[in-house]
Amino acid sequence: MSAVIETRGLTKVFGVNGNAVHALRGIDLVVDRGEFVALVGPSGSGKSTLMAILGCLDSPTAGGYALDGQPVEGLSGGALARIRNEKVGFVFQTYNLLPRATVARNVELPMLYAGISGRERRERSLALLEKVGIPEKAGRLPAELSGGQRQRVAIARALANGPALLLADEPTGALDSKTGAEVLGLFQELHRQGHTVVLVTHDPAIAALAGRRVELYDGLVRLAEAKAA
Amino acid sequence: MHLSGAFRQRVAEAWLEIRENLGRSSLQALGIMVGVASVLGGFSISDSNQRRSDERWRKLGGIERLNVQPAAAMRDGSVTALQRANLGLRNADAVDGEALNSKAVHATSVQRFARARLRSPNADQERQVSGIGGDFLPLNGYEVEQGRAFSMTELARGAPVCLLGAEAASVFFPSGDAVGQTMRLGDFPVVVVGVFRELVFRWRDGEPNAMAWRNRIVAVPSALVAARMQGDRYERVDRMTFKIPELNLMEGFARDLASLLKANHRQQDDVRIDDIAARMRKRQSQGQVYNLIFMLSGILSLVGGGMVNVNIQLASLSERVREVGVRMAIGASGLEVFKAFMTEAVLLTSLGSLAGLVLGIGFSKGICMFLDIPLFLAPGSFFAAFFVASAFGVVFALFPAWKASRLSPMEALRYE
Repeated sequence: MSAVIETRGLTKVFGVNGNAVHALRGIDLVVDRGEFVALVGPSGSGKSTLMAILGCLDSPTAGGYALDGQPVEGLSGGALARIRNEKVGFVFQTYNLLPRATVARNVELPMLYAGISGRERRERSLALLEKVGIPEKAGRLPAELSGGQRQRVAIARALANGPALLLADEPTGALDSKTGAEVLGLFQELHRQGHTVVLVTHDPAIAALAGRRVELYDGLVRLAEAKAA
Repeated sequence: MHLSGAFRQRVAEAWLEIRENLGRSSLQALGIMVGVASVLGGFSISDSNQRRSDERWRKLGGIERLNVQPAAAMRDGSVTALQRANLGLRNADAVDGEALNSKAVHATSVQRFARARLRSPNADQERQVSGIGGDFLPLNGYEVEQGRAFSMTELARGAPVCLLGAEAASVFFPSGDAVGQTMRLGDFPVVVVGVFRELVFRWRDGEPNAMAWRNRIVAVPSALVAARMQGDRYERVDRMTFKIPELNLMEGFARDLASLLKANHRQQDDVRIDDIAARMRKRQSQGQVYNLIFMLSGILSLVGGGMVNVNIQLASLSERVREVGVRMAIGASGLEVFKAFMTEAVLLTSLGSLAGLVLGIGFSKGICMFLDIPLFLAPGSFFAAFFVASAFGVVFALFPAWKASRLSPMEALRYE
């Protein structure tokens, strides 16, 4: 089984000299294809920083990171953008949908940046909305949708270019428990279909749903459960 | 122009973006629109007015004329014997003048004025009579409507014939049958051989005819005035006019003419040469000044509009920072964000410019209607307005677009 995420001694320092903050202090982490990993830890433990680096939104100060077998350190902003586009699907706590664009267009957006033709974009976005269970909302604006539906749109968007890695940052943080459970069910379903999912959360109950738990504390991995069989 | 798929895509995307943010977009386009309208409107009004003025000159017989009139040689003190012995401006001077540079001079005319009692079966008035010679008619914009012009022989011999302006014809022969009739000019008869077409020029509709006085003309051969009315065998003239179509030759000709006339007139400066072309050059430079002022005011309003645009863009940028962050997170590079912003700005600028052209046409039409002059739109004004506005639109879009493209995706996403 090949590794989707492989980091060696990742460190991230914000600020300089006197008031430098060491957000990550040497993270070694391997996530294999098809795994469902929960990244847990108290606030300030470096979860979000690690997630940003794993998603190529940010670069580590030192250390090595290979995403889907491809080393990403020292890549240009344009190259990182392409990797985000092709290999990473983000799901955020606050959905981060474009408010004035329709649901379908939100889902199409990553495909647009990948240079996919208009007709294929439309077909794929409809298929993806079908997959997340809200095909009838394609023409609506995000504001007309409930929180759970919005998060489904965000998941459809994350899946748009068939990413190697789904990165979800507190995806149920803004949802009530019932809808949250449904969204988590969707993640589990995606995992069963073979997607690699890394989910950041501080909720142990949610973490328990994942196949494996990785706990961060003060910028270090405090506990990494063994890989599930 | 070949539009690549990616470019078309970007334009379509920008169009969607504009439609999704209609309020902001229309404000941006409005700035450009007003600028374009003011440049185009200013130019058109200036052009239209100039057109109007040119038309008046055309009706007066063209602008490329050099007039020479007698003037007093004596400035102060008493008249010298030499000055008294002078004969003033004579027909011979006109002949000499034309011979001076026959290539530059395309036509020459002379005029000699007299006052006389004019009588027809219908009217009896004291009027000014114009003794004309040379190519007077074309040089002064007169056209014969009925009958004929004077023949060369009639002009040379001072035959007792006359031509009437439209007003004069209607006064002396109200029934419209002037041609062939005889009228008395002082104490001798003259035959009316022709009637001029009425000259009409109104600066605005409803205003009186600015050329009405020119329809009052009663014209006879200048030789007739000299011989029969004034007994002047030197054929002195009150005005001579040279037509010099090549305006750059006019100045040199005027100089040569001045020295010729001075030699003819015993070294006395007793003529005044007025250079219509110089007046026209002055008028043209005035027109250029107006155009410059209009251009400047247009540019200033574009600068104002542009700054409003930058403001809107920057304000909307902070509103859009998160959005840019999201776009970057799902795969837009900085370059792509820059291109998207620029495409949107260029599209908005073009739309605003087009609307501005329409508004500018309406604007100049309104003003011209108010001034009662016909509207004239020069194609160059369109290009100038469009080009200037587009340039400003692009320049003012660069900074916000650059700022957006430099955002770090992580910070943009966390932006509150």
